[in-house]
Amino acid sequence: MKLVPLSYNLRSLIVRRGPTLLTVLGIAATVATVAGVLALQQGFATLYAENGRADLAVVMRPGATSEGVSSFTREGALRIAKSTPEFAVDANGAPLASLECFLAVRRYRVDGGETNVPLRGVQPATFAIRGDELRMSEGRNFVAGTDEVIVGRSITDRINNCHVGDVLTINVTPFKVVGVFECDGPFESEIWGDFDRMLSALDRFGPNRVLGKLAEGTDVQALDARLRESRETPAAVTTERDYLTAQTEVLSAILVFLGAFLGLIMGVAAVFTATNTMLSAIASRTPEIGILLSTGFRPLSIFLSFLFEAVLLGLLGGVLGALLVLPLNGIQTGTTNFQTFTEVAFGFRITAPVLLTAIGFSLALGVIGGTLPALRAARMTPTEALRRQ
Amino acid sequence: MDLLRLVWRNLWRRKLRTFLTVGSLVVAFFLLCTLRTLVTTIQSGADAASASRLIVQSAVSLFVDLPQSYQTKIQSVPGIEGISKWQWFGGYYQEERNRFAQFAVDPAETLEIYPEMQITEGSAEAFEKQRRGALIGTGLVEKYGWKLGDTVPILPELFPHPDGPGIAWEFEVAAIYEPTARNFDPNMMMFHWDYFEDTVKAGSGEAPGVGTYILALEPGADPTAVMGRVDALFENGPQRVQTTSESEFQKQFVSMFGNVPFFVSAIGGGVLIAILLAVVNTMLMAGREQTRDIGILKALGFTDGDAVKLLALQSMLICLVGAGLGLLLAQVTEPGIAGALGSMFPGYAVTSSTYALGAVVAVGLGLFAGIAPAWRAARLDTVQALSAKD
Repeated sequence: MKLVPLSYNLRSLIVRRGPTLLTVLGIAATVATVAGVLALQQGFATLYAENGRADLAVVMRPGATSEGVSSFTREGALRIAKSTPEFAVDANGAPLASLECFLAVRRYRVDGGETNVPLRGVQPATFAIRGDELRMSEGRNFVAGTDEVIVGRSITDRINNCHVGDVLTINVTPFKVVGVFECDGPFESEIWGDFDRMLSALDRFGPNRVLGKLAEGTDVQALDARLRESRETPAAVTTERDYLTAQTEVLSAILVFLGAFLGLIMGVAAVFTATNTMLSAIASRTPEIGILLSTGFRPLSIFLSFLFEAVLLGLLGGVLGALLVLPLNGIQTGTTNFQTFTEVAFGFRITAPVLLTAIGFSLALGVIGGTLPALRAARMTPTEALRRQ
Repeated sequence: MDLLRLVWRNLWRRKLRTFLTVGSLVVAFFLLCTLRTLVTTIQSGADAASASRLIVQSAVSLFVDLPQSYQTKIQSVPGIEGISKWQWFGGYYQEERNRFAQFAVDPAETLEIYPEMQITEGSAEAFEKQRRGALIGTGLVEKYGWKLGDTVPILPELFPHPDGPGIAWEFEVAAIYEPTARNFDPNMMMFHWDYFEDTVKAGSGEAPGVGTYILALEPGADPTAVMGRVDALFENGPQRVQTTSESEFQKQFVSMFGNVPFFVSAIGGGVLIAILLAVVNTMLMAGREQTRDIGILKALGFTDGDAVKLLALQSMLICLVGAGLGLLLAQVTEPGIAGALGSMFPGYAVTSSTYALGAVVAVGLGLFAGIAPAWRAARLDTVQALSAKD
């Protein structure tokens, strides 16, 4: 079977440059919108899921869905931290476990408006557990037992009083910001200070959770089952990775749903436009189709040729749409994660899956939009097509 | 009149194309309308506020309660007429998706502070007297079919029942209110503070804290001065407070959404651009195909102005029909979407300003898409147009 040369389609697109351009731009706008939403979801989901560690245990009150609603008595939490044999030990034989307190505190955004920023009080063991996960990018770490705090990089420019040298008042206690830290995970949206000083500033008594480094080969489920049965301090154990993934399920699902919903609805509109354009292209080229048919091209070749033209339109739109969203990559934004009621800052991430989805989506638009017009072209009879003037 | 018939005939000339164009317009206007409603729904909370009420909450965190001992101190501040303790109960009815606002309140004081709640069934007295009595809004009556005297079980998430985990708190519907102000939430449930406090104490041994104190201002009192005086009382702890007007209080929840309204608007912009391109494209194609018809019309003595009208009206008609159907679709799907969004965006409702905006956009789109082909039609030379290919 002889195929219609591809250059025929390319030239046709160029000759009809007005409709071609408008169609390509329309598809590009559709693809860009969908890709933008997906990029947001990627930024949000990877921030949590990829950065949680499987070798860390998060110990909370049974039934608590997030650390904000979990609480222990100080004695109970200490007992867990000191006497859980599954926790790894440091060079001196002390268990690598730390009490942490957590509260979403009221803060003001630099550009106005109130939000809830996570405030975490940690013991020195937290830094031993985290190792080089946290990197000081400015200033220094806080000194244990003092009224000093360090602030995550991604909120320094978003929230008031978060630069090195600023004074940040928590309830009635002024804390001095002595450093800014970087971290790949969600901690970069948090304020960290000394565990005991935080509790005292907040007028609270006990920790929210215990963080422990698991010894190699620990069966987390068995540990969870055992601690739940404890008579003194019942507790639930998950790995940090599972904990963080669970914190993002709702918002992540909303973003995926929004992307799919927009893709479906805007896709329908884009398919209609592509169909219109191809129908008009075929109508004005009817005599040419007659010539192609009478010079021996099979209807299937004609069908493939016009389908190719539609797919090319879609692909051009897809590539342009992908180019349009590329500048969004890395732009930071923030919203409240309503599962934890805290502000979380994250960036658009144009990942390979986002780009592949965008291109695949645009190809699908071209195929669906081009099928009907291409069928119409392939069904023409040479004599009738030639007669049309 | 003849011209209108010609417009109509021309639209039917390529049925498939007209259908596809109208179809994409329906979809686009439905989407625009839905997206804008999300934004207005997020922002509408702040509209229901009254200027004569102030809210006292912890200045430290949304999740920190205030001591009950604050009440007498706040009450002594001049300019305050009434005060009620409020605590967010945060439970649900039967299933987790059946969420609505439940508050433990001081019954008599709350009814005085909120004149927007007009009791339509039962009585204020009954609500105040019955220990387990609850006051519910007409919205809940519609949604769950509760009647006066019904026992309503609410499963707690924050305040476990003393009898054990998974056991529901039970309340009895003693009165039903209807909001007299627009935007006032008809989906609230309020019950006695004393019953709440005793039950919590029976479980944990400790009295519950107060989420917010609601204050009613004396007529003529200066709200800013009162706010300052209340805040000053607890300047040095143990818990600092933040007193705000009711609208500021609501705005903090709007503010939590951060850039979400902006993103939703940006998506709407993307939709608008895509649809604009599609309609302009269609109208240009239609204009080009009708070149010979225009030539014939002009040869028959129709003016350039008639040619302009012929094409501009086609564009306008397509846009108006598409937009009309799109807005209709948004209206029909409103209850479904509101149900699907559930507690995430309570009160999803397409406002009249959204419909008006849709109409304005439709007219603008119709005008804009018609300009290029109409202008071309007016400038067509009759002889050339007549020799154009079909």
